[in-house]
Amino acid sequence: MEEVLKRLGPESSSRLLRLRREGWEKFNSLPWPLKTDEEWRRTDPDSFRWEPAGFDPKEALQVSFETPAPEWIRSGVIVTDLSTALRQFPDLMEKHLFRTGRPLGLAKHVSLHEALWRQGVFVFVPDGVKIPTPLRVRISESAGALAFFPHVVIVMGRRSEATLIDERIGAAGGGNPAFSDEMVEISVGEEGTLRYIHLQQWGENISEIYTQRTEIARDASFLNIHAALGAKATKAQIETILQEKGAQADLLGVLFGSDSQHFDFHTVQDHRSGQTRSDLLYKSALKDSSKAVYTGLIRIEKQAQKSDAYQANRNLLLSDGASADSVPMLEILADDVRCTHGVAVGPVDQDQIYYLNSRGLAPAEAEHLIVEGFFEQILQRIPAEELRERLMSELKRRLNGA
Amino acid sequence: MSGPLLEIKNLHVSVEEKAILKGISLTIEKGQVHALMGPNGSGKSTLSHVLMGHPKYQVTKGQILYKGEDITGLKTDARARAGIFLAFQYPTAIPGVSVANFLRTAMKARFGEGYQPKEFRKQLTATMATLEIPEDFATRAVNDGFSGGEKKRHEILQMSLLKPELAVLDETDSGLDIDALRTVAEGINRMRGPALGVLLITHYQRILNYIQPDVVHVFINGRIIESGGKELALELERKGYAPYEEKTQGERQEVPHEAGH
Ligand SMILES: Nc1ncnc2c1ncn2[C@@H]1O[C@H](COP(=O)(O)OP(=O)(O)OP(=O)(O)O)[C@@H](O)[C@H]1O
Ligand SMILES: [Mg+2]
Repeated sequence: MEEVLKRLGPESSSRLLRLRREGWEKFNSLPWPLKTDEEWRRTDPDSFRWEPAGFDPKEALQVSFETPAPEWIRSGVIVTDLSTALRQFPDLMEKHLFRTGRPLGLAKHVSLHEALWRQGVFVFVPDGVKIPTPLRVRISESAGALAFFPHVVIVMGRRSEATLIDERIGAAGGGNPAFSDEMVEISVGEEGTLRYIHLQQWGENISEIYTQRTEIARDASFLNIHAALGAKATKAQIETILQEKGAQADLLGVLFGSDSQHFDFHTVQDHRSGQTRSDLLYKSALKDSSKAVYTGLIRIEKQAQKSDAYQANRNLLLSDGASADSVPMLEILADDVRCTHGVAVGPVDQDQIYYLNSRGLAPAEAEHLIVEGFFEQILQRIPAEELRERLMSELKRRLNGA
Repeated sequence: MSGPLLEIKNLHVSVEEKAILKGISLTIEKGQVHALMGPNGSGKSTLSHVLMGHPKYQVTKGQILYKGEDITGLKTDARARAGIFLAFQYPTAIPGVSVANFLRTAMKARFGEGYQPKEFRKQLTATMATLEIPEDFATRAVNDGFSGGEKKRHEILQMSLLKPELAVLDETDSGLDIDALRTVAEGINRMRGPALGVLLITHYQRILNYIQPDVVHVFINGRIIESGGKELALELERKGYAPYEEKTQGERQEVPHEAGH
């Protein structure tokens, strides 16, 4: 395996190579998680078990991106695949790759990612550069791949501003059962603004581990819209660290499940400084026997006075077999803060159905319109018309059972 | 020769085992406006929802004939497509669904092949204008955060576009200021004609100054106690329901009647 580790990356840095080795050692020393572990009580860990025997480190993904306009390139904006970044910008990679700190949980899978990370995206917006049009990147599964370990690094300089649309697309026609173990690192510099839209449309052959960690500096703001439509099973951990005074985060999630899809999302709103604000809203609509698990932690540290934290999770169950578990968790160490959380799990409101029926809509049609409205509240915040419409028509298609 | 538009025959209705309507008979001819007046909790809205086919209300006895056919077993959406419309006393909010999208979908459902997508915008804008509804209203979510008056105007906007043959208006005049009342009443009057029958539920004879009823019914404790002309409404306004309630005293031990609140 040592050979495999060496062959994996073109990176020359001894730090990165050491990290791979350490990741590999940790991975081997840790047991696979058990159903009895707190973290895995609601999601079967066996769905995310991966054996390295026979691992072939060939390129398993296609990374594509829109090259920014020449004026932005001249300003120092970088949007490229990770392999190119490692070759062309070793210093930046040294400075930013694996620098946002280790995700809190999922130790076994995080270690595995640290050992085998390969392919991905690097986005860099220098200080003072504000890009009005969205940047776009996409990672697609190649048919036949069995395991992939994509890594995304997004760095926003001071007073920079950008919107990034980042997609995951499954191979056409499904494919073999496959495993994805992904990590996304984001840092937003002082007074910077990042809108990060992550659209997951893996095929239903993929089991996905997804960790995302974002650090937000003083007076910077972060909008995250995470849309999870695909994959057979997803275990995600989305950590947002409000590092300095004035940091703000709006964290929105859209989940749509059908068949036996399983989503498990854990979010962390970590307020480390005073006068920070985080506002989270995750919504899921679940058909057939799909299931969503949501656990959300708000942590407000002792020194983070005058912070606001909101968290809401709403789940619409569209059939008797669908289910949702929702668990809010609070760790509030400061005393002068505002914090609310709310959970809703239930079927579509019968009064709403009746009202629409009374206007001639058949029950199924009424339900579809209500679900569209349910998501519209989040989708309307996507700052790209074309994507918003594509996402809505995809949701409609899924609602109609196609 | 066609018969009456709506014929309710000895209708008994229960909600969760509790009898609410206790033998109602009522016939509305095409072109007529019937006003229904009665105290709080007497069952007026129950009647309106039964006509619309709300699944919660059980018809335990009697019949509802619409254009000569028994619709007791017909689902709500089928009744709507057949031309029955209910302006809700308490319209339901549908968050995230814009008024324009909602109305477009409803018109497609109501008119099927006859729906003309190209005409929709024009029709919507024109109808909104006659009801003095501002243009940005079309982009707001259905009944979500609407004021009481906005909800009622929105109900009449729907009625205007969906062109029902039978309209049940459940306290559409409640919560309207004087100008809004006139606008809404004019909106309803514009639709009056030989093809439309109206059941207008109200607490106040004021709206009847704008919309002349053909028949006024006094409705107490699940029954129509008296029917007459417009003068009945004026009399009610003067005397209240007390003289009529005496007539129903025999019912009291059966279902305790809550005095108006
Ligand atoms: N879904 C229900 N479940 C239980 N009771 C109900 C239900 N709907 C109506 N009722 C009861 O039936 C009675 C009649 O109610 P209804 O709403 O029809 O009265 P109303 O005449 O429209 O009153 P108002 O003038 O206040 O609008 C009331 O006692 C009410 O509590
Ligand atoms: Mg009522």
